Amino acid sequence: MSSLRHWLERNERWLLGAIMGAAFLLFWEGLARGWWADALQPLIGQGAEKLRIRPIFLSSPSAIAVEAWRMYVVTGEIWPHLGVSAAEVVFGLGGAVLIGIPFGLISGRIRLLSHAVEPFMTALNATPQVAFIPLIILWMGTGYGTRVFIIFLLCLIPIFMASHAAVKTVDVRLLKVAASFGASELLLFRTIILPGSIPFLLAGLRLAIGRAMIGIVVGELYGSAIGIGLMINKAGSTFQTASLFVGVLTIVIAGLALTEIVRRIERRVEIWRPEAQQAVNS
Amino acid sequence: MSLALERRLVGGGALLCLLALWEYASGRLVDPMFLSSPTRIYAAGVDLVVTGEIWPDLIVSAQSFIWGYLWAVAVSIPLGLVIGWNRRAQYMIQPFIDIMNAVPRITFLPILVLWFGIGIWSKIAVVFLGAVIPITIATLSGVRTNEARFIRVARSFGASPLKLFTSIILPGTVPFIFTGLKYGAGRALLGVVVGELYASTAGIGHMIADAGNMMQTDVVFVGVLMFTIAGLIINAILDRLERHFERWRPQEAAR
Repeated sequence: MSSLRHWLERNERWLLGAIMGAAFLLFWEGLARGWWADALQPLIGQGAEKLRIRPIFLSSPSAIAVEAWRMYVVTGEIWPHLGVSAAEVVFGLGGAVLIGIPFGLISGRIRLLSHAVEPFMTALNATPQVAFIPLIILWMGTGYGTRVFIIFLLCLIPIFMASHAAVKTVDVRLLKVAASFGASELLLFRTIILPGSIPFLLAGLRLAIGRAMIGIVVGELYGSAIGIGLMINKAGSTFQTASLFVGVLTIVIAGLALTEIVRRIERRVEIWRPEAQQAVNS
Repeated sequence: MSLALERRLVGGGALLCLLALWEYASGRLVDPMFLSSPTRIYAAGVDLVVTGEIWPDLIVSAQSFIWGYLWAVAVSIPLGLVIGWNRRAQYMIQPFIDIMNAVPRITFLPILVLWFGIGIWSKIAVVFLGAVIPITIATLSGVRTNEARFIRVARSFGASPLKLFTSIILPGTVPFIFTGLKYGAGRALLGVVVGELYASTAGIGHMIADAGNMMQTDVVFVGVLMFTIAGLIINAILDRLERHFERWRPQEAAR
C-alpha cells in the first residue's frame, strides 16, 4: 500500500496533468452530446437544456478526431492546403532569416546606423504589423506572392531586432582584446560576434515561427484559393466546426513542432556556454 | 558630443530624411494612390478628426481593447499567483497554459467569431485570449523565482502564509507582472487589429480594411498610425505605472 502511495507521489506531476486533460476532453464531449443536460435534467429541470450545445458551435473531441481522420487519411483533402501553406512559410520565413540576420547584425555593429534604425524599430515594434495588410494587398494584389510577403514581413521584425540586440550583448572586452591583437573586422565578426549572437538569433527565430503561424491564418483571409488559413476560414463561414478545429490544431501542432526543433538546436548550441541560457530567458 | 545627443540627432535625422524622400517620391516616382505621402496622410488625419468621422471607430476599438485587456488582467494575475504558489494547481493547470502559449491565439479567431458573432464580443474575446496567457506565465514565473532565502527567513520568524504572500511574494512578482502586462498589451492590440480586419462592422481595423478596398491609401496610413500611437502610449503608461510600483525598491548598487 505504501509503495502505491509512493508511486503516486513520484508521478504526481504527469498524473494530475493527464487527469485534468482527460476531464477537460470528457466535459467537452459531454457538452456536445448532451450528457450533462440529461444528467442534470431531474435535478434542475428545464435549465439543464442550456448545457446541451449544438455541435455546430462546439463540435466535440470525437467528432474532431473523426474529421481529422477523414481529412488526412480517407480523402487526403488537407494535404494540398498543407503543402501550399508550408511553402509560404518556407519562403517567407527563409527570406526573413536571409535578410533580417545580416542587416540586423550590421546595423547593430555600426553605431551611427543603429541610432538611425532605432526609432523605426521602436515604432514598428509598437505597431501590430498585420495592420499593413490592406496596404500590401493594394500594392501586390491577392496572389501567392502577397501571402509570402505578409509572412516575410511579420517574421522580419523579430529576427531583425534579435540580431540587432545580439550584437550589443557581445562582451566588449573580447572585442577589445581581439582588436588589439590586430583582428580584422571580418575575423571579429566570424569568431566573436556571430557565435555570441547565436542564442539571440535562435530566440528571434522562435518568435518568428509564431509570427509565421499568424501570417498563415491572417494572410490567407484575403482571396486565396488554397491553404490551411483559407480552409479554416471557409470551415468557419460554413459552420463546419469540426474541420475548423482540425485546421486550427494542424497549425498548432506545426507551430509546436517547429518551435521544438529550434529549442533542440538552442540546447545543442548552448552546451558550451553556460551563461547564455540565462541571458536569453531573462 | 554625448552619446544620448548623437542618438537623438541621428535617429531624428533618419526619420526626417525618410519623410522628405517619401514626400518627394510620391507623385514623381510613384503613384500617390499606392504610397500616399506624409502631407496627404496628415491632411487625411486632420480631416478625419475634424469631421469627427474617426471617433465612432476609435471608440469601438478602444472599448474592445480595454474590456478584453482588463478581463485578461483580472483573470491572469490571480491565476498566475495561484499556479505559482501551489504545486498541485501548477501540475493541473500549467499544461493547458503551455499549450495555449505555444499557439498563436489569433488562429482561434474563426471559432470565436462563430461563437460570439462579428460584433464587439468576438474582439473582446480575442483580445482577452491574446493577453491572458503571457500575463499568467509572467506572473507564475515571478512567483517561482522569489528568493527562497526571504521566504525561509520569514517562515522561521513565524510569518503567516497571508503575511508571506503580501510582503514577499507579491512585491517580488511585480516586475515580472509588468513584463507580462507589456507583452500582453502588444498581443491584445494585435487581437484588435486582426479581429477588426477579419470580421467587423466598426473599429479602426475596419476603417483600414474599408479604406484599403477603396484605395484611400492615406486613410489606411492614418489607421496604421493610430495603432502605432496606441501601442506607444500603452507602453508609456505601463512604464510609468511600473516605476510607481517600484519606487520603494533599493537601487541595484545599494544592495
